[in-house]
Amino acid sequence: MQTTVDDTIQQSTSNIAAPSLYNENVSIWHHMSEALHQSLYRVLTLLIAVLPGILAFFVSLFVFAAVGLLISWVLRRCLTWAKFDLRVAKKSGTDWTPSSSPTDIAARAAFWVCVLLGLVIGVSAFDTSYATGAALPISLLPYLTHAVGAGLLLVAGILVARFLARSVLISAVNAQLQYARILSLGVKWLVLVLTAAMVLDHLQVGGNIVELAFGILFGGIVLTLALAVGLGSRDLVSRSLESHVEDPGARTHIPEETTTASRSIRHF
Amino acid sequence: MATANPIPDTTLAEDKAIADLLVLVTAMPPEHFKGCLENLASAFSPETFIVATQNELPADVPSTLRIVATPQTTASWSIKPVDFLNAALSAREHGAKAILILGPEADSLSPLALRALADGALRSSIDLAVPHYLLPSHAGLINSAILYPLTRAVFASHVRFPLSIDLCMSSRMADRLAGVAGPIFAANQDGALLWPVNEAVAAGFAADEVDVGSRAIPQPSDPNLNSILALVTGSLFADIEMKASLWQRPRRARPSRLPNVENESTDGTADVARMVAAFQLANANLQEIWSLVLPPNSLVSLKRCSTLAPADFRLPDDLWARIVYDFLIAYRLRTINRGHLLGALIPLYLAWVAGHINLTAAGTQAERHIESVAVAFETDKPYLVARWRWPDRFNS
Repeated sequence: MQTTVDDTIQQSTSNIAAPSLYNENVSIWHHMSEALHQSLYRVLTLLIAVLPGILAFFVSLFVFAAVGLLISWVLRRCLTWAKFDLRVAKKSGTDWTPSSSPTDIAARAAFWVCVLLGLVIGVSAFDTSYATGAALPISLLPYLTHAVGAGLLLVAGILVARFLARSVLISAVNAQLQYARILSLGVKWLVLVLTAAMVLDHLQVGGNIVELAFGILFGGIVLTLALAVGLGSRDLVSRSLESHVEDPGARTHIPEETTTASRSIRHF
Repeated sequence: MATANPIPDTTLAEDKAIADLLVLVTAMPPEHFKGCLENLASAFSPETFIVATQNELPADVPSTLRIVATPQTTASWSIKPVDFLNAALSAREHGAKAILILGPEADSLSPLALRALADGALRSSIDLAVPHYLLPSHAGLINSAILYPLTRAVFASHVRFPLSIDLCMSSRMADRLAGVAGPIFAANQDGALLWPVNEAVAAGFAADEVDVGSRAIPQPSDPNLNSILALVTGSLFADIEMKASLWQRPRRARPSRLPNVENESTDGTADVARMVAAFQLANANLQEIWSLVLPPNSLVSLKRCSTLAPADFRLPDDLWARIVYDFLIAYRLRTINRGHLLGALIPLYLAWVAGHINLTAAGTQAERHIESVAVAFETDKPYLVARWRWPDRFNS
């Protein structure tokens, strides 16, 4: 009898608790869906605000590219008719040295000027439409523009690093420095590290850590190079310093045989 | 350009005089100019020539000499485009049939040499008489290694010294060269050095050499090999690029001639080890750059050469010709920065010099070796023409 009463009480308790749990689940789903809806609404609102700008950008680009093609074609025909290439060759007195003819260059220049104009107008339209939706709290688009700038910095940095590395390598080899490759690599990595720091700074990534890491790396490379050059070319440096001493008697003695032989070879 | 005229008015009275020969003496120190005038007075009778110069007259100049002033220009180690303009202008004014241009240190040319040069244009049917200097075997090596063989192969010209310091030309040749020099001067292209002889040959004028014996060769202001090689070779490469439409036509090469007199032999073997070391260092470090310019078989051959001991070092003539052609193609295509390209050529040139010195030390006549190098360039010219027209074809 007692057992039957207990079972009845337990059953009734469980029957009461079930609707409460169901209500909590409903509330979480409701909040989640509300948050998602709000987020979707915000993004869609931003897209709707920005979409005309994006469309205007592409329309401007395509229209100006088409106009550029037309102008380029007309210019090419006109210049060919006017024998522009011959006139330029006659005026300069020599054959045209670049791989493209003057007509080609003029036509291409006209096309790319139009494309550039389209880009500028498109970006301007995009900027205007974005300004209207900028009140929305999304920082993705400004970040994208920073990313483009950072990409350009990176490309320029890599090009400069490669150019300087080659210049240093060739000059060092022609100066017969045994550590030419190390010197060239050092210069290359100096420029690359500098570029990386500038890119990260432009992207506003890392903050003080980047500055600190850049300082350590840059200083480390400079110190390594200084040690390599200083230790590897002690003789060269001492000879160079001695050559600046005004007293001719203090100069390093060069064997007579070597100087005589050098005088016998004249490259020019 | 300064306009001061150092020639006194008394000599200007004869400005409109007529003479068969106009001698243009470029800017040079007074002692050299005096020597030039003395040699000219010995070589020609005074009524047959007029001297045009910007130099100050020496105190004891013979009164029989007729000297006129030309506009002041800056002194240089070579003949500049403005000299051709001044020469053509003066020749027209004085009705000269031939123009003799004398470069710096021309006082080292004998009166006989001056006479022979002038006769080339006055009496023979030569439009451009170019001096053939007698130099020691280890002098003018850039000319022997690159300038002479390359101009000979490309333009079918047998002028041994295409970068001539002195020239004699007919009036029509002077007009033609002045026409080309005008735009070069206007564009202020200081690097244009090797165009006159190439222009004459490419345009079909009769150009020939005249033996003038030994001469002091003026050296560029910057004696550094790196800058000299880049300047001179770059000038030739640019001229070849400009005249591409002319030299690609088949031309009949004239038979070459070796000088009758063997030039003075000098020993330079002490420098060979240094040059080979420079080449070996470059071979270890510049592979990345050379591989952009040279085909794989040339790189393999260079690697093989780099293992040779300095005393046995040789750079085969056909390999050297192929290297120069590949650098010329890379110059045209701008494969890498042109300054880098010409800088990367220097160790290879030093390798050629080392091989040349070893050969001459072993008893080979220097001129014979230079002749065989020139023949190698001529033999390999089809490769240059093919790659010039179809650069992507990599004949390896």
